[in-house]
Amino acid sequence: MFKRLRRNTNLFSVTSILAGLLIIIPMLNILTEVMTPASDAWLHIRRVLLQRYIVNTLVLIGLVAVFSALVGLFAAYIVTRYEFKGRKLLSWFLILPLAVPSYIAAYVYADMLSYTGTFSRFLRAGNIGLTIDIMNMSGAVFIFVMTLFPYVYMLTRSALQKQNAAFLENARLLGASRAEAFYSVVLPLLRPALVAGTLLVVLETLNDYGVVAYFNVRVFSFAIFDAWFRLGDTVAAIRLSAILMIIVFAIIFIERLIRGKRRFSGNAKPKPVPRMPLSGPWRFILPGLLWVIMALGFFIPLAQLLYYASLTFTDVFNTGFVFLVINSLTLAITATLITVFVALMLANYNRGRKSSFKHALLKITNLGYAIPGAVIAVAVMLFFIDLDHMFYPLYRLINPESARLILTASLAMLTFAYVLRFMAIGYNSVEAAYDKVGEKFTEAAYSLKTSKLKTLLKVDLPLIKTGLISAAIIVFIDVIKELPLTLILRPTNYDTLASSVFRYAREEMLQESSVPALVMILISSLLIFFLTHQKKGVTANVR
Amino acid sequence: MRKTALFLSVTTILFLLYGCMLGVATDGESITVFSERHYDTDQTLFDQFEQETGITVNIIDGNADPLINRLENEGEDTMADVLLIADAGRLHRAKDKGLLQPIESDILFENIPSNYRDADNYWFGLTKRARVLVYHPDRVDESELSTYEALTEPKWEGRIVTRTSTNIYNQSLMASFIEIMGEDEARTFAEGLVANFARTPAGNDRDQSKYVVQGGADVAIMNTYYIGRMMNSSDPFEQEVAETVRVFFPNQETTGTHVNVSAAGVTRDSKNQEGAIRFIEFLSSEAAQSAFANANFEYPVNENVAVHELLESWGAFKPQDINLSKLGIHSYRASTLMDEVGWE
Repeated sequence: MFKRLRRNTNLFSVTSILAGLLIIIPMLNILTEVMTPASDAWLHIRRVLLQRYIVNTLVLIGLVAVFSALVGLFAAYIVTRYEFKGRKLLSWFLILPLAVPSYIAAYVYADMLSYTGTFSRFLRAGNIGLTIDIMNMSGAVFIFVMTLFPYVYMLTRSALQKQNAAFLENARLLGASRAEAFYSVVLPLLRPALVAGTLLVVLETLNDYGVVAYFNVRVFSFAIFDAWFRLGDTVAAIRLSAILMIIVFAIIFIERLIRGKRRFSGNAKPKPVPRMPLSGPWRFILPGLLWVIMALGFFIPLAQLLYYASLTFTDVFNTGFVFLVINSLTLAITATLITVFVALMLANYNRGRKSSFKHALLKITNLGYAIPGAVIAVAVMLFFIDLDHMFYPLYRLINPESARLILTASLAMLTFAYVLRFMAIGYNSVEAAYDKVGEKFTEAAYSLKTSKLKTLLKVDLPLIKTGLISAAIIVFIDVIKELPLTLILRPTNYDTLASSVFRYAREEMLQESSVPALVMILISSLLIFFLTHQKKGVTANVR
Repeated sequence: MRKTALFLSVTTILFLLYGCMLGVATDGESITVFSERHYDTDQTLFDQFEQETGITVNIIDGNADPLINRLENEGEDTMADVLLIADAGRLHRAKDKGLLQPIESDILFENIPSNYRDADNYWFGLTKRARVLVYHPDRVDESELSTYEALTEPKWEGRIVTRTSTNIYNQSLMASFIEIMGEDEARTFAEGLVANFARTPAGNDRDQSKYVVQGGADVAIMNTYYIGRMMNSSDPFEQEVAETVRVFFPNQETTGTHVNVSAAGVTRDSKNQEGAIRFIEFLSSEAAQSAFANANFEYPVNENVAVHELLESWGAFKPQDINLSKLGIHSYRASTLMDEVGWE
């Protein structure tokens, strides 16, 4: 018994189990609150508001899912299957909208379309009496689709690149038209990637608070904050999150159903589908449409922000601003390193023999992505206050006059929350990297009696280096954009780029918020450039 | 195995050190302010306080409710000494939850009229803002405007615009109505107003005035200081909007225009009560009031301090004659009532 325990105790299992515990304890803390009797506020919500929240949420995610899937798939298909001028540039440009946080896009578009906005003035100058009201459900759908479709685009693009030309050729030989071949061969093969990308978009949409609050679109994330803040009822807020979590799990379950158990794996070396040159008017129409998507999702907001930055740069840019950038960077780097490290441990732990315990543990550690940011914030804060109470004797030992809330007052709390929130993204990226190399090298090393740590350092890490870097970049971009956790959990006198954007926006000073917003977008864009241009590394030679 | 243990303990220690390092308090006397207000001009004032008293001011800024929630969660260990919030209703909520403590300060009693501070001295108003009607002079004649209630008349159908019901200022407006005219009449008012909305509420206060200039609506209900802020906006086109619209103070013949305050209180578990009280006293002093209020185009509570010339140009007005604690007492009912009449 002891021997077995000892054999199973290693860096991977210990870190994984520790991570699982650290994630589940704060959540349990909060779930117990659901069991308390219904409050007045909850009865009020159920009677007057709940139906509306459910309908709105379903409409919003339904529309966002359909349109982002269409846009993402369209873009990926054109970029991978046709040859045209500017294709290479577009193929990574189309990921850039991810660098623009949805809430910033919402502020910018609402501003441009408002009476004083660039767009409305342009129309008035041309004597066109058209006004577009973006602050509603369709506006929110537009914002989410334009800033989140790259998730679908990235996944479907890489799936399309891996598709085997042989399948398509066979279909055509058997007399299928191009359209038939697309519907009966290309699309079914793409389904897992398409569904997975759309799922990411839906989860991000459900988690957003900035856009829906500004546009007053009453969906669940809005409802949770509303119950918590306006009605002052934490328990009602948690009940609403519980309902949201049920919706999320239902969606994930549906995704599993749609994706099905079928695995389409082809040859080790698929024959790539050759790109066709575009002819006639299509030469302009198809790339033109892609540039329109790029403009809406990236260049237009960017240009507007640049203009505002030119107005306010001198007011906003000072030494304090440099600290904002440093704060954002150090915080995001720390959170990213921890997330990727734990994700790596989890992925290693999950290799080899599968067990239901491992399976459950992974589900738990990946929970953060499905839980609304506000709930994570409350849970983490309560957890850290408990921790501080527990460690208080220790603090006293070091410094007899120590305050009790040490960790709570530090960056550790916020960093922990980030890790919890983005673990799923980190884990999935690391696992994808491991999937590509398989387990044969690792097993070979183990069979040669190399220790687990040494195998990890000498064998696995070099193999999955590029995958790890990608994982780190994706997590980093998410952390630097993150808003609700940052606002609620940051220590005193501590501002980041995101919190400063929000502060200016709350004071209705959009022009001033442009400088931090731009820096944030710039950092993320650079990383996306790096992500799409890094050398394929060793993995390219391993199959 | 041993390596694993070593590695894990080293990372744990590093993590703890990292945490502690970033949480150490600075030397010397300091106070920590949980603040909803954090204009760049406020910071200048805080620096001035620091210079005069040698007390360092640490700020955590955020929205009112998360700050109150944080105060509640931290309990007796909180590092906050002062809670500074731009709505009397929310301060009342903090008082209700037992998060504040009463203060006896002759300076505060003298500087701040009794209407604008808590009846039990738990919080003190520092700057006033009025929630007024902003209209387009081409489409509305001043003589057509009289009271908030008159906006429920059929002639205003599709012509009124204001923020959402989640907005604190609208909740406090409704709460003041519940106090003044009772719940039933307040409900009738809200129903009538919603029936006349030009659109489903969205956006912030500036957006409401832009919508009026754009022609989407004729009258906006909004706070005074946004007009001042827009007149001084870094965007020249916003200045144009602010100069186009006119400000009207409703209910002058009747119950008075709705007024709310930015206010501050000392937290129950403040570790530096004295510093906290000095801070609030400083903000209510004649020297600080004009900077504190004028920078944001608000009315100073200290009656010895002159109002900004822009506000002066709008003339004096009669405010609602209620103690602002009432805004907090009725705030929950005001919220549910707005939901019930379909004010989104």
